[in-house]
Amino acid sequence: MNIIEIKNLSKVYDAKTIPVYALNGINLAFSEGEFTSIVGPSGSGKTTMLNLLGGLDSPTGGEIMIDNTDITGLKSRQLIDFRLRNIGFVFQSFNLIPVLTAKENVEFIMQLQGVNKEQRDRRTFELLKSVGLNDKVNTRPNKLSGGQQQRVAVARALASKPKFILADEPTANLDSKSAENLLEIMEKLNKEEHITFIFSTHDARVVAKARRVITLEDGKIVGDVSKN
Amino acid sequence: MIFKISFKNVWRNKVRSLIVISSVTLGLAGGIFTVSIITGMVEQKIRTGINNEVSHIQVHNPEFLKNYESQYSIPHADSIAGIISKMPGVKAVCGRARITGMAASPNSVAGVQIVGVDPLQEKKVSNLYTTIPDTNGGYFTGNRKNQIVIGRKLADKLKVRLRSKIVLRFQNIDGNLTEAAFSVNGIFQTSNTVFDETNVFVKKSDLDLLTGGDNGIQEIVIMLDNIEKIPVAEAALKAKFPFLDIQNWMEIRPDMGMVTSAIAIEVYIILGIILFALAFGIVNTMLMIVFERTRELGMLMAVGMSKSRVFRMIMLETIFLTVIGGIIGMVLSTALVGFFHQRGIDLSSVSKGLGAYGFDPKIYPFIKRDLYINLTLMIFCTAILAAIMPARKALKLKPVEAIRVE
Ligand SMILES: Nc1ncnc2c1ncn2[C@@H]1O[C@H](COP(=O)(O)OP(=O)(O)OP(=O)(O)O)[C@@H](O)[C@H]1O
Ligand SMILES: [Mg+2]
Repeated sequence: MNIIEIKNLSKVYDAKTIPVYALNGINLAFSEGEFTSIVGPSGSGKTTMLNLLGGLDSPTGGEIMIDNTDITGLKSRQLIDFRLRNIGFVFQSFNLIPVLTAKENVEFIMQLQGVNKEQRDRRTFELLKSVGLNDKVNTRPNKLSGGQQQRVAVARALASKPKFILADEPTANLDSKSAENLLEIMEKLNKEEHITFIFSTHDARVVAKARRVITLEDGKIVGDVSKN
Repeated sequence: MIFKISFKNVWRNKVRSLIVISSVTLGLAGGIFTVSIITGMVEQKIRTGINNEVSHIQVHNPEFLKNYESQYSIPHADSIAGIISKMPGVKAVCGRARITGMAASPNSVAGVQIVGVDPLQEKKVSNLYTTIPDTNGGYFTGNRKNQIVIGRKLADKLKVRLRSKIVLRFQNIDGNLTEAAFSVNGIFQTSNTVFDETNVFVKKSDLDLLTGGDNGIQEIVIMLDNIEKIPVAEAALKAKFPFLDIQNWMEIRPDMGMVTSAIAIEVYIILGIILFALAFGIVNTMLMIVFERTRELGMLMAVGMSKSRVFRMIMLETIFLTVIGGIIGMVLSTALVGFFHQRGIDLSSVSKGLGAYGFDPKIYPFIKRDLYINLTLMIFCTAILAAIMPARKALKLKPVEAIRVE
């Protein structure tokens, strides 16, 4: 079943002067349980695509159906709430609230959702365990390595029970060992918990782990390959 | 949760927050201390005025107040005074005869209010006797008849000294003109020259003897054990004696009342200006903070933190910053004011003349309780006003732009 359907999606920057087609007539569908990588040279439109999918930006044309909702029609207030309830985010950096511990960072998103304390505690503990950080529960981000911070971010993204998780170059700031470790965790979550991941990357080893690889160039899809 | 994050955020940059907090603390402490000195001075002036001249409450026959004719005395004054003295909060009660008359010396003549007093009782309601310097006699010392205590200003006008003779001329209760010589026993000096010029004090017993009959009591003066009790006591008196005119010190001396209310406003203006100035520093700091946290705020909005929560978070952080400073400032100034209230601030070296005018050269600064309540409200308002601009700035951030990695 498709959880995301993109139809004729385009995004044009600087439309009034020299138009830049960051995305140009994209048609795509993502189904539940995917582990998909978006690749392409710098400037090909990966970030733009993920931002549009995440409802962080609005397209110039086309539609994005998520679970039968066209998010391009949502108002900014509705979009924030939609993101909170449906989409998990892992950014390249600055994912966490520096003044909160790992546990509090994961819990935070559930507090925004209004989940009760007991459930929050249980889920936070489970999630931190599943990303291998049960010994860092009360540690603040500045005392965690880059890889550990990204793992907390994955746990945080999962905490809201989203339909899918978007990650724009989640390993870009990590050394290769941490990058591999993060990918393994994401892979495990995908396999065991059927969490849908859509991530962009430049790293060939990360791409190798993906089961579907979508290649962009100049805002157009030039490749869409699924393994097994 | 937002509460907790905001509070923790305050301590992210400890040095900067402490600078803001100390500026609020010092600004407020300085302001409150200044205000306490002003309040102390005014309060002292009013206290002296009350103690030496007017007392807390005065009771008259309503007719008397129209033209100050002594025939309109208070009926059954002694028993009324007796009842009043048993009312709650009343510290001392005393009746006075009041007759309009003329005071003449060989050099000059002046219209005066002749106040007939019982010196012993009078000392309980009035500190006037304390304003007689040692070199200027006393307050009905010795047992000689027809002694008079006058003010410095009148003494100068009549060109009389201690033990000089003054002739008082007045109508007695039957309308007959009476005249008698009095010897100056003491010369008082209050800060109010009009009072000093127009009031002369004699023993009521001397007056009655001269006129050959009781002149009655035209005025009952009341001192309460606490100035705060005036409204309650006043209402009780009005209810009990509807046929009498009851006035508090502010009604008797509107000028003194006006000083109090003018100062009360001035005090808030001073504090308002200080808070206004502090608000600029706070706004500036918070704008800096929002700017520095652009990415973090963008991330928060991206993951689903609503605008109203972001707004509240910045608001709360500003309020914490301000209110922490405000509380420390108030505690600090309470201690400071308390300390100097006990010790007093001696101004005699700065202003030599004060003592000569019957002023205590020491000032006892103090702060009224309602100032703290209002000030707390003012600090909150300042915090909220200072928070609005930075919080709105945070709302204008677009998540995509805020999180874009350069
Ligand atoms: N805010 C913007 N204003 C103008 N042009 C933009 C903006 N954001 C992106 N672009 C342009 O849109 C195109 C696609 O950018 P995008 O960031 O999506 O690429 P990307 O594939 O993520 O690149 P990278 O691999 O470097 O992250 C680029 O040509 C870029 O210059
Ligand atoms: Mg990018």
